[in-house]
Amino acid sequence: MDQFNDELNGLFASYKAALPDVEASANFMPELWRRIEGRRSILLRIKKLTQVFLAAAAAISIVFVTMLSVPAFSPSDVRANYVEVLADAYPTETLASHGILPRDTSEVNAK
Amino acid sequence: MLVDFEQIQKAKAGDDAAFNQVVLAYRKRILGTIARLIGRPEDVEDVAQEVFLRLYYSLDQLRTPEVFEPWLYRLTVNASYDYLRKQRRRNESRMSDLSEQQVMMADAAAGGKVSNEDRRRKQVKELVESLLGAVSEQDRILLTLKEVEGLSLKELEKIYSVNENALKVRLFRARQRVLNAFEATRASTNKPAGRKD
Repeated sequence: MDQFNDELNGLFASYKAALPDVEASANFMPELWRRIEGRRSILLRIKKLTQVFLAAAAAISIVFVTMLSVPAFSPSDVRANYVEVLADAYPTETLASHGILPRDTSEVNAK
Repeated sequence: MLVDFEQIQKAKAGDDAAFNQVVLAYRKRILGTIARLIGRPEDVEDVAQEVFLRLYYSLDQLRTPEVFEPWLYRLTVNASYDYLRKQRRRNESRMSDLSEQQVMMADAAAGGKVSNEDRRRKQVKELVESLLGAVSEQDRILLTLKEVEGLSLKELEKIYSVNENALKVRLFRARQRVLNAFEATRASTNKPAGRKD
């Protein structure tokens, strides 16, 4: 095993020497910056989309809060029946002035 | 350090000219390391650009300029590891696309007119790459950094963020696997031709 160990060490050393130095091509830096710019534009797009999403979420929240804060119908409005609502809208005096009802209720009683 | 701390601080602060200087200073070393880690010269530049791209977008996370080099090595190792994983998937389909005759023709073309020294280098390269190819990608990268790149245990500790003992165990096991592959290769080449066991 020791013999193999030594041989392997020698082999790794020869391997390192056998590999030539790698030189970057002339296109290395321009291509790197192109990739950086490409990634930057994607990140900017994601940022814009996030902002739009946040603005929409805020608008929806405001609408909901407004809807919840508007006062609800009073219970008496809900409980009133049709006849009561009609009586409120057309008081007896108004009906009498139009001749729908007698002006004095005692006249009716006398008859 | 190939650049001073001030340059790294400037690059970290978003100075593109300073970042350019950092890339120019480390480019050759990173290209060499990647070439040894992935073993495919045609893809070295692409992986190196990926390393510097990751560096550009993660430089603000660097705590102190003192740990810059181990950190850059870690990015290099991660990018190489990602490349090797992708390559393994691609190779599975690529090799099946080639006929045996095409493979033989490619071999013949590659081994055309070469000198003895070139042939010996090629043999060493092929042997070491076949040995490293017999172990996992993690083992391959770890052994290459230690045995070929010549990184110290301290440097490897910073790159892998593990303690020395754990690293020694990993290195020992990785080396044992390569030694087993080496023994097997030797046994098969020393076997007399025509004899069947």
